[in-house]
Amino acid sequence: MNNKVTIRRLHTGVPGLDAILGGGLPEFSFNLIVGPPGSGKTTLAHQIMFASATPENPALFFTVFGEPPLKMLRYQQQFSFFNLDRINESIRFVNLSDDAATGNYEQVLVRITQEVETSSPALVFVDSFRSIMQENRRQPTGTISQQQFINQLGIQLSYWQATTFLIGEFVSGGDPHPVLTVADGILSLEQSVYRNSMVRKIQVLKMRGQETRPGMHTFRITSNGVEIFPAALILGDTGVPETSVSLRSKVRLTTGVPGLDDMLGGGLPSGYSLLVAGPSGSGKTILATAFLAEGVRRGEPGVIVAFEQTPSQSWVRTLDDMIRAGQIGLINTRSLDLSIDEIVQHLTELIHKMKATRVVIDSLSGFELAVAPAFREDFRESLFRMFVVLSNLGVTVLMTSELEDRYIDLRFSPYGSAFLTDAIIVQRYIEVESRLRRVMAVVKVRASVHSTEIRLFNITDDGIVIGDPVLDYEGILGGQPTRVKVSNPVKGGTP
Amino acid sequence: MPTADSYQEAIRRTLTLRSEAPPDASAVAEATLQTWHRMADELVPVIGSHGADVLFGRSLYITSIHFPWLAIVGEHRNSTAQLANLKARLADRETDTAAEASYTLLVTFVELLISLIGESLTERLLAPVWVQRLPASEQESET
Repeated sequence: MNNKVTIRRLHTGVPGLDAILGGGLPEFSFNLIVGPPGSGKTTLAHQIMFASATPENPALFFTVFGEPPLKMLRYQQQFSFFNLDRINESIRFVNLSDDAATGNYEQVLVRITQEVETSSPALVFVDSFRSIMQENRRQPTGTISQQQFINQLGIQLSYWQATTFLIGEFVSGGDPHPVLTVADGILSLEQSVYRNSMVRKIQVLKMRGQETRPGMHTFRITSNGVEIFPAALILGDTGVPETSVSLRSKVRLTTGVPGLDDMLGGGLPSGYSLLVAGPSGSGKTILATAFLAEGVRRGEPGVIVAFEQTPSQSWVRTLDDMIRAGQIGLINTRSLDLSIDEIVQHLTELIHKMKATRVVIDSLSGFELAVAPAFREDFRESLFRMFVVLSNLGVTVLMTSELEDRYIDLRFSPYGSAFLTDAIIVQRYIEVESRLRRVMAVVKVRASVHSTEIRLFNITDDGIVIGDPVLDYEGILGGQPTRVKVSNPVKGGTP
Repeated sequence: MPTADSYQEAIRRTLTLRSEAPPDASAVAEATLQTWHRMADELVPVIGSHGADVLFGRSLYITSIHFPWLAIVGEHRNSTAQLANLKARLADRETDTAAEASYTLLVTFVELLISLIGESLTERLLAPVWVQRLPASEQESET
């Protein structure tokens, strides 16, 4: 027989929070919500409270210091979760600032105890506790210290079978406050301003008895309240070999560009990520559109994450038509303070919703621009996490990447992301007889034979038309090819 | 409440029913203080006594623009003394004037609260304060 205590987990009702907590908040836990002013502590607390409180499991919200309750009620009402019907039905606000102002914590504790005894709440919130530390200096002699106050509060509330939250600022540096040791769970919120963007992050510093999602997770505060975007979880060594590439690649997808499938060795292996790199205007987005259109034609729904301005051309109308018809899901953002995790979250939801198998990210360059400057340093690492998530979903991904034409070296991606992708197509301009011509080559298809030819191609209203291999020139990658004499040029792709 | 009821009506009815009939100015003063105490009972647990006092002080100031004889009341910092002073001043007036000033003061207070936390929440918090309107059936049977 198993006599171990079973801890129930409470759903917080905050999107993403249960995931980073490892399944929810342990019932009867004593939690701290810490962070500097403006980091969203009170909003988070209110959101949890409004989502969880019921007449059977009521909540008490004590305002001790911090913002005046009138202001709090005024501003918190702006959030959609603030349900007026709950006030005094399942949620009661209790102001203790009069008792706290005297520095008499014993009295504050007595008041909290009385209120808790009277209404037997399932949830108790006390806002806010750094102020208490400061108030400590004015404390009259003969009463308990704020540290004792918090310790006693934590212990008492735990024994009253309530899940409790202490909300407050947290002074970093110096010795950690003893309450951090007493608490069962600590949620740390912060906002960082970098250059011209502001990014909010949350971290579960501690949650007793359960495995939490480590690291910082970005979140946003909108009119719906807090939404957390859990950082993608990269599983450690499981001891089980990954599905081998050869198994994944048995099924091949057609790209929708005549001739390109042959160059790829019979189409793009399903589940692969393909990087299409090339200079501005070389036809990357057109290739991506063809890839999605081909999917639609074959009943394989797709999703596009678009960061680029799209001019009105016939192939763009194709894309627009597919989006309007609901055949293609669109994530279109011009925001400049995104986190990759936020995009990944939205993308994952959309992929599930659309049952999509083809994903296009157009482009990584636009993506980097849309990501908040604070995340750019970690862009490559975040891209890796995104690839892992998308790979686990089993979707086939086509990414475009703007690449300056350089004729002195051969580069495929400015982010060093080339090695992360399974396949690479590079597009370039070359000068032939005083005209700019486009060429395309398949650089890599992991675990597959593929063409090594450099092929000329044109962009027409119907899309990409792949032409002959450039056999009679050499020095193409140098940008200025010279003609060589070829007796019998061979047409068509040969691996 | 039986049906939707504006706070102005609720305040008017509460003050009238809490004053003795026929009301004199001191009965009006008594009813005003009684109503204010009931409002404070509901509000202080939520916004604190300091918050309630500040709001009341502001309401007195605004009301005294139309009833200048109330102005001096606001000068008291101590809320107990302030209330005693208000009561004395109301009791000193003609019944109708006292009733109108008292009504204006409470309406101003409620409007101030509404401007800060919205009408719905204000209604919700103050609903227990008002003397209930009789259900329509009882009103009919009384007549």
